[in-house]
Formats: sequence, C-alpha cells, structure tokens
Amino acid sequence: MAREHLLKIGVSGIRGVVGEFLTPSLACAFAQAFGTYVGAGRVVVGRDTRSSGEMLQHAVTCGLLAAGCEVVDVGILPTPTIQIYVAATRARGGLAVTASHNPSEYNALKMFNAQGLFFNNYERGELIDLYHQSNFHQASNQALRGVTCDYTNPRLLHIRRVLQHVDAERIRRRRFRLALDGVNGAASVMSPGFLRDDLGCEVEAIHVDPAMPFPRVPEPRPDTLGELAALVRSRGCEAGFAHDPDGDRLAVVDDQGRVLDNDDVLALVVDAALQRLPGDVVVNLTTSSVIDDVAASHGRKVYRTPVGEANVVEMMQAVHAAIGGEGSNGGIILPAVHLCRDSYTGMAFLLDRMSETGKSVSELASRLPVYHRKLGKVTYEHGKLGTLMQALEESFPGAGLDRSDGLKLTLDGAWIHVRASNTEPLLRLAAEARSPERVEALYGRVLKLLEG
Amino acid sequence: MSLRISHVGLRGVVGSGMTAAHVLDFASAFGTFLDSPGPVVIARDPRASGVMIRQGVVAALLACGRDIIDLGITSTPVVQHAIRRLNAAGGVSIGASHNASEWNALKFLGYQGSYLSTAQASELLDIYHLKKFDFVEWNRIGRLRQDDQALDAYLDELAAHFDFPALRGFRVVVDCCNGTSSLILRRMQERFGFDFILINEKLQGVQFAHEPSTNRAMVELQLAPLIRPLNAAAGFLFDVDSDRVAIATDLGEAVSEEMVLPLLADYLLPRGPGKLIITNLSTTALIEEVAARHGGKVMRVPVGRQATIDALSSHRPEQIAIAGEGTGAVMMPQFRFVYDGIASMLAVLSMMRERGRKLSEIVGEYPRYCILKGQEPLVSHRIPALLMELRERYHTGRANVEDGLRVDWPDRWFHVRVSQTEPAVRIICEQRGSPPVQLFESLSEQVRSLA
Repeated sequence: MAREHLLKIGVSGIRGVVGEFLTPSLACAFAQAFGTYVGAGRVVVGRDTRSSGEMLQHAVTCGLLAAGCEVVDVGILPTPTIQIYVAATRARGGLAVTASHNPSEYNALKMFNAQGLFFNNYERGELIDLYHQSNFHQASNQALRGVTCDYTNPRLLHIRRVLQHVDAERIRRRRFRLALDGVNGAASVMSPGFLRDDLGCEVEAIHVDPAMPFPRVPEPRPDTLGELAALVRSRGCEAGFAHDPDGDRLAVVDDQGRVLDNDDVLALVVDAALQRLPGDVVVNLTTSSVIDDVAASHGRKVYRTPVGEANVVEMMQAVHAAIGGEGSNGGIILPAVHLCRDSYTGMAFLLDRMSETGKSVSELASRLPVYHRKLGKVTYEHGKLGTLMQALEESFPGAGLDRSDGLKLTLDGAWIHVRASNTEPLLRLAAEARSPERVEALYGRVLKLLEG
Repeated sequence: MSLRISHVGLRGVVGSGMTAAHVLDFASAFGTFLDSPGPVVIARDPRASGVMIRQGVVAALLACGRDIIDLGITSTPVVQHAIRRLNAAGGVSIGASHNASEWNALKFLGYQGSYLSTAQASELLDIYHLKKFDFVEWNRIGRLRQDDQALDAYLDELAAHFDFPALRGFRVVVDCCNGTSSLILRRMQERFGFDFILINEKLQGVQFAHEPSTNRAMVELQLAPLIRPLNAAAGFLFDVDSDRVAIATDLGEAVSEEMVLPLLADYLLPRGPGKLIITNLSTTALIEEVAARHGGKVMRVPVGRQATIDALSSHRPEQIAIAGEGTGAVMMPQFRFVYDGIASMLAVLSMMRERGRKLSEIVGEYPRYCILKGQEPLVSHRIPALLMELRERYHTGRANVEDGLRVDWPDRWFHVRVSQTEPAVRIICEQRGSPPVQLFESLSEQVRSLA
C-alpha cells in the first residue's frame, strides 16, 4: 500500500516522488506523447520552484522537441499565468511542471490544451492511450524546432487581465498594508510586484525566494499559516495572503490574524464577482452551502460538480458561469480572466471589495452566514466501498442524494459528503451544519459507521 | 542502419533511429556509471537536433545528482580540455562529428577528458541495457550552470605549446563546414591576430555546405581552389566537431587525408621522447617509412577509436610520439591524447615555420603512396569464408588477421574488413609509386563474388 501513490500515471497525467519513481525518462516520454497529441507547433513550458523542476523541465522540453514542437520557456511562473499565456499566444498547448500543493519530494505535469484549459475527460483518455502505445511522432533533424524564452510577457498579460475587472485606481488609493507568504513558490516571482506596483500596497513579504525550499507544509490551510497570521498581527496588516507552490490557490488571513476558512474566501470573492458580472456559480460537492446563500442573495443559481478543477471548469463552460471554484482547496475561477484557478483574481477582488465598501476582511467575513465544517479521512478495505456507502445511505433515510462523486447526503441545514480518494485507499469525509454541535454529531456518526 | 549503440556510445539518425528515449536512457546510464565526484561538462555541435538532445542529457544527469557545466556550442577537444581544467567527473559531447547533418551522437568522456576504455564502455553499455539508474532524491538533484571561459582556457593551453606570434603570419584559408571550428578560429583571430580566411563559417543546424568528411575530395570541392587566388600558405578543412583535419597546400593541391598522420609524425618524432606511433591497419604505409627515418616504431591496431585508446593505455605517455588514423584524426601526447584538429593544424604550421619551407615543398618530399578505398555490400555469414579464401589466394604476402585481413608485400598492401559503422565490407589497397588499380579491382571483384 505504501508505494501506491509514489507514482501515478493516469488520465490526470503523471505525478510522483522524484528520483526512484518519477524519472526524467517518464517525464520525457509523457511530454512526447503530449507533443504528438497536440501536434507540431508552439507549446508553452513553465514550472514552480521545486528542486526537481529544472531537471524535469529539461526532460519535458526534450520530449516536446522530439515530437516536433517548438518550446516556449516561460521559466518559473504561477500555473494560471502559464495557462493565460497559452491561450493568449495561441499556442498548441502548455505544460506546467508542478505538483501544486504536494510536498517537496513530489512533482507532476499539469497539461493544458490550446485554450489554456485542462483537457476534458475524452482528451485525457486519448492522451493516456497515446502514451501507452508509445507510438510518438519522431521529428527528423530538418523538422526539429528549438526553444524560445519569454520571461516578461506572461506576467504582464496575466496582471493586465486581472486588473481589467477591478478598480485598480481605487485600490491603489487605499494604500493597503498587507502581509504575504509566498511559500518560496512560483508566486514569489510575481506577487510582491503585483501587490506593490500594480495595486499600490505596502507589503510585508515572507518566503518569497524561489531559490529556497518550501518553509512550511505547502498547502495553504489554517493549520499551516501560523507564521503569516503572526506577521499580520505584529505588523498590523489589513490582510494576509498565502499561496501554494504553483500560485493557483489562495488563503487569506484577516486583519485580526485569523486564517479564514477557504470556503469563506470563495464566498467573499463570489459575492464581489456577482456584483459586477452576470451568470451563475459552479462549485464542487464539498464546497460549503455559504455559496448557495451568497448566490441566492444575488438571485443566481449554484451548480455542483464532482471534486476536481477540470470538472468545475467543464461545468462552468457549459452553463457560462460568472464564477466558480472549490472551497475546500482555495481555488477561485473567474472565466472573465481565465477558466482556471487564479489566486491573483482572488486577491484583486478581495481588495477591490474592501476598497469599495471601506470594510475590513473580518467585517466582510462576519456578514457571511455561519456554517461549521469538519473534514477528515479514513482508510478502508478494498471491496468494502459499496457496502459502506450503502450503509451510509440507509442510515440517513429521507436525505437528498447525489452520487456523482461518492455520496453526498443533503439534510435539512446540513450535509455529508463521503468520497474515495483518487490517489490513496482513503475515504474523504466532509460534514457541514449550522452549529458546531450538529456537525460534530453528524461527523461522529458517519465516522463510526465507516470505521465499524 | 540508422541507430548504433556500441562501445563508442550512441549514434543515429535523429527521429528514425535515435530518439529522445535513447538519449535519456543513455545519459542516465552515464550518470549512473560515473563514480568520481565532480560536475559533468557538456557541449553540442550546431546540429538542430542538438537542442533536443541537450535537454535530455541535462535532465538525465541532473536526475543522477550531477551538477552540469554547459559550454554551449563548442568542439569535442574544448570539452575534453574543460573536463581537466574544472576537475570534472566527465563529459558528454553531443555531435556526430563527420557524419551528415541528420545524424547525431553522444560521445562520453571520462575523468581528465579521456575517452572511455573498452572495459569502461562495456560497463556503460551494461548499465544502459539493464536500465537500472541511480537517480537521486529530490533534494540532491544537480544544478545547471554555464561556463564561457572554456574556449579561452583551451586557447591558452595551445598558446603555451605553439609559438602563436610566429604562426599568425601565415595566411590560412579554412573550410569550417559550418561547424564548431569557426568559433575557435574566430576567437584566435580576435585574441591573437591570426590571418585566417574562413569559409562556410556560419554555424548551421540542418544543412552543411558539403558532406562533413575530412578527405581529399572535400578539400578539392571549395577550399583548394581558393588557396592560390588568396595567396595563402595553406588550407585546412575541419569536420563539424573539429577533431579531424584535412589539408591543402599553398599550390592549392588537396593532400590525401592519409598524409596528416605521417606529416605530424615527421614533425613530432625528433622532438619528443616518445618513439612509438600507434595507428590502425587501414592507414598508409608511409608512416613506417617516416618512423624509420627517426628510429621510431609503428604499432598497428584494428580500425576504430576504441582499439587505439586501448593500445595507448597499455603504454606510458612518454613512450608515444603520436597516435592517429588515416582519416585526419590525430592525437598528440602534448595534448593528452585528444583527437584535436585545431592542434593538428597548428603543428603543421609550426613545421612549416621551423623548416622555413612551403607546405607544398614539405609534402612533395615524401615518397608517393597511392591509396584506393572502396566498399561492397555486406553478407555477414559469408565473411569468414571470404577472408579465408582471400588469405589463401594472396598467400605470398604477410597476413594480419586482427581486424579482417591485411596482407603486406614490400611495396604494397591491402586491407579487407567489415565496417563498424555501415553494413559494408571495406577494401583498401595502397602501393608505393603508383595506384594499385589491378589489385584493387580484382579484390573488389572477389569480395563481390564471394560475399
């Protein structure tokens, strides 16, 4: 069991522990399959700051060139910046060498199509088949292309797009005092300049050296952002922003030094976005009901999808959503900027709302309806999943059922969501209710059921 | 045959033979094979496929925990020099030397810039075939950096051996064949004021001005006709990675590629302590005459770089005067036995300078040897019978069977062997005084009918 998640090659690409498991040969072959799939043309390649990034970027570039692609190297950049650049420059596709929020020893490839979006399920299936067939395009010396670099335009493009949707001048006038934790990740190269130069903020920045290792658990969660919260308190900042290593996720610390729940951050940005943009909202099944309340206050509808950025994005395209995201992981997706998780959109909209209302983050958050959530995981034996899910369903008769991703039971003013992890033999467990007592009771009941 | 994996390394036509996967695996094998500490030096020649291959080599070596020092586009001898200077563990030179542009290759170099011995090369091949590579953990992955001092440091070493101020007076025309020599020679012009006139000096990735072989026909093509109009003292032609050289005289005559080794042997034998010349069985017999003049001795080894390297390693460096082959590839002990076309050119110029004679006069003084080279298609299973048959038929001569069959008479010889790089039987005949046309033709006919 221990090794099962050390390397994963599947429809979501390739991810694993670098060295014994994720090797340069695998990355090269996968990239060559990708290059064969998207066709000879420009492919954008960037990465986050992991120590294995330079090595894997070379392997990936080798595979793409071998397939006859021309590689545009954009260096260390946040994933959304890479996605936007792919779309804006009409490239055939893009590859980001990043394992997102996973620990340092991991790396992975995120793959984008010509629109700078994750492949849909059908495309991903075709690509993985192509990889397994190993029948790659092999360009001759005459057909081989080279590598060009563009280290300046991607960030300009991204920032320009974000600023189109907020009143940047109004934000600059406020001269916000902010704290920033870049986890020494890809956002380290962009966020300080974005906040200082583009939005006129005073920034107390920590961990913004892309040459250094990750100083904390890379996933930005309440329990991993103690240093940022302390900085906000000691320097009297109005807000603190924290990134994950590839800069697509955002976590926020309020002016009291409390780390906001990621669902509440999404709710604040949804609220800000719906003020100015038409359309509905798409979130995953595990995202808090607070989104439903916010959407309802604007007279909008909420669509729910299975967990995973690609699923949310697919639904957002289908319903022409105004905004979407995944509360649990800090992903905020605004199609007007790009159909991808983008922490820069999140920061800009939050600051815009603060400058518009004159309210602090804590004041804005306090106006949100209060829900209590509890997340956890539990191991299970293979072959027992069906029995467990059935038992769960039977123990909550009359609950609303959604089986599109595990099982979600909707009760009156509360819900429970149990789903099997894609990467580990684990069940992920989420419960939400209006009161802490009820959520504890629900969570405890489900846990007992699953463990028993 | 568009892919060849052998003791010499990895070589093939990119795309149809040599793929990114081969590059990754072979470079990973090399990273696993290296045991001395230190970084690895890499460089490439200007072939377009070198960009792709370099990416793969870098990825594999970094994954094996090696820091990489990238010299960009430069010659194999510069890589070998940099390995010594930087105390590196080894190096990889990406380039297919004298092969056509659609080919590429990885040349692996060991500690001190040496070529791998046969034993080392076998170990590397075994690791490649086993595909069990020593990749390091995420926090021990190597770093990549550039080095732009390599060319100047290499030239400093050459300047210490050759009298640059005396040599720069020679007007020399050079056909760079769009390869790495142009970078080296241009820098020599800038730094030392050499009077070089370069043709085909633009680096090319896809199409070279002509086939990049260092032979007489290629010298005649563009270089030789320019010598007299430009009033030059000599002309030199380099292959793409500058380890081989061919020569034209001041009269615009293309000199046989076979002449480079005897010429340099004649120059070096009286100078050094070494008296031994190591060359292969296919190289001109003039070398024996030149050796005899200076009390030297010739050791003949099978064709291919590997045999020469193994022969070198079984001698002390000071015993050896020179080593090389009739392709214009020559190694001198002064340069730690690296095939180096630029150093060979400087040695020829030094010889002209010291003797105070024109190159045409120096070359004209040697007895005339005429060599004919050809090849016939290979039928592998008939080779043993063919060689036996030829040996019986030419029993009057002295036979050597170390590499195919070589038969020697006092003033002529032939060598019939199976090529290591192409599916062909090579036939070489040489005679003192006049071309051995009849012998060559009957041999070709016999090989055709027997094989």
